[in-house]
Amino acid sequence: MTELQKKRQKETRKFAAISVCSLAIFFLSWYIATGVLHLVPDYALPSPVQVLRAFIAKLTKRAPDGATLFQHIMASLKVALSGYFLGAVVGIPLGICMAWFRRVDLFVTPLFDMIRPVPTIAWIPLMILWFGIGLGAKAAIIFVSAFVPCVINSYAGIKQTKPVHLWVSQTFGATRRKMLFSVAIPTAMPLIFTGLRISLGTAWMTLCAAEMLAANKGLGYMIQMNRAIGRADMIIVGMLTIGAIGALFTVGLDKLEQAMVKGGRRK
Amino acid sequence: MKKKVSEKTVKTIYAIVSISCFFLAWSFVTNFTPARLTTPGPLQVLKLLVTSITTPIGKYTLYGHLYFSLRRVIIAYSVASISGIVVGIAMGTSRYAEAIIKPIFEMLRPIPPIAWIPLIILWFGVGELPKYAIIFIGAFTNVTLNAYTGAQRVDQTLVGCAKMLGTDKKGIFFRVILPSCMPQIFAGMQVALSTAWMAVLASEMVGAREGCGWIILRGSDTTNIPLVLVGMVVIGIVGLFLATVMRVIERKVCAWNIIEV
Repeated sequence: MTELQKKRQKETRKFAAISVCSLAIFFLSWYIATGVLHLVPDYALPSPVQVLRAFIAKLTKRAPDGATLFQHIMASLKVALSGYFLGAVVGIPLGICMAWFRRVDLFVTPLFDMIRPVPTIAWIPLMILWFGIGLGAKAAIIFVSAFVPCVINSYAGIKQTKPVHLWVSQTFGATRRKMLFSVAIPTAMPLIFTGLRISLGTAWMTLCAAEMLAANKGLGYMIQMNRAIGRADMIIVGMLTIGAIGALFTVGLDKLEQAMVKGGRRK
Repeated sequence: MKKKVSEKTVKTIYAIVSISCFFLAWSFVTNFTPARLTTPGPLQVLKLLVTSITTPIGKYTLYGHLYFSLRRVIIAYSVASISGIVVGIAMGTSRYAEAIIKPIFEMLRPIPPIAWIPLIILWFGVGELPKYAIIFIGAFTNVTLNAYTGAQRVDQTLVGCAKMLGTDKKGIFFRVILPSCMPQIFAGMQVALSTAWMAVLASEMVGAREGCGWIILRGSDTTNIPLVLVGMVVIGIVGLFLATVMRVIERKVCAWNIIEV
């Protein structure tokens, strides 16, 4: 047993070493290609050292796009989270109602199916027309992007409740309301969380698009501005920040799900 | 007997009622409230949709723009799917490939395809290549991730059985591993297709002179709002069409899986 464990540990360590080497080779070849050999011009792909330097400079300096990295992050977060919460707060109950009440299902589903296939990005010009270029339009765009996956997933979650469970609760005298809150919604919880996770991802991505088209602050605006003035190092800093925050969101929601969902669907 | 009214008829009646309610509300709002100053009514949009089939918008007619967008999506999506399946299955079946590729993949994966646009425009300019690259990134991550989890979840008992019955490595791969991760791969390809469709719009809105995304942008630049809505309608229809095509293909290829569910 211990022999086997030891062997397994050794294996794990070996593959971890390979992973570290792979990352090191990635950065090293990037550095050699750009910083040492100058295979590509700086404005296209700066070396990782330059990116790091740009990152450190961006923490405190406003140049070249008018705000520090932190200010951009806060601007983006404000927009993304307000739209996202609105989408979740409206979308999840709507999905649950659509799945639970037959009339709502019959009436709303065709409308929803009509609007759903239009990607959120296509809504941007219309939202800007309706709400201007302030917080409102961007929050509305993100609302749409978060709303759709929330509805779809909570709908599917309620629909997958096993009839047997509903029958059992009925036999024990549960009212229809009790059935919804004690049987159907807990069953749907894992899928609702899947919806929340998907919509957070799409919301974050849509935010970048919205900020690239119309904004004066935010991470999407930052990378778009730096493209216009050819500062690739700043673009990469922006991209990595966007990626890192997206990854943080995912981790945070995973933790929330573990805390809130009883039982589990996890294999 | 009231019960004789079939489920389908009820559904259709409700659908017709709700959609006509929607259009009525839309035309009411755009005719009798201040919103008519900004938003065109459904009839206006329909009229423009019909005329733009024959009259060009910019350089091309509606068909021309559709052709450009679809060509970009199909080329980049096919390349991304094939390479995504290869990379994903390699990661799922070989621990060496996993150890080498996974850290880099995990580092780049959370960056949305749209955030790549500025860098890709710097690299490739404004021709066709940057659009392909953006769509590729959007589709590739989804397909790879799903192929990877699919290959990881292959039932080891099945692999063991095949081995015991004397199947060689090639046989195991093509007749056990590949078929059993097919449903996962298709799920990934389904998501990837809608991401690709979105990515092409984004890339066309940022720098292009043709395509469906350009129609919308053109509409908003010239405050031709009916044109924006025409673009949205067309994009929605094409998105629905693409998703349906994928579902039909999936039903053909993974028939065994569909019946089971």
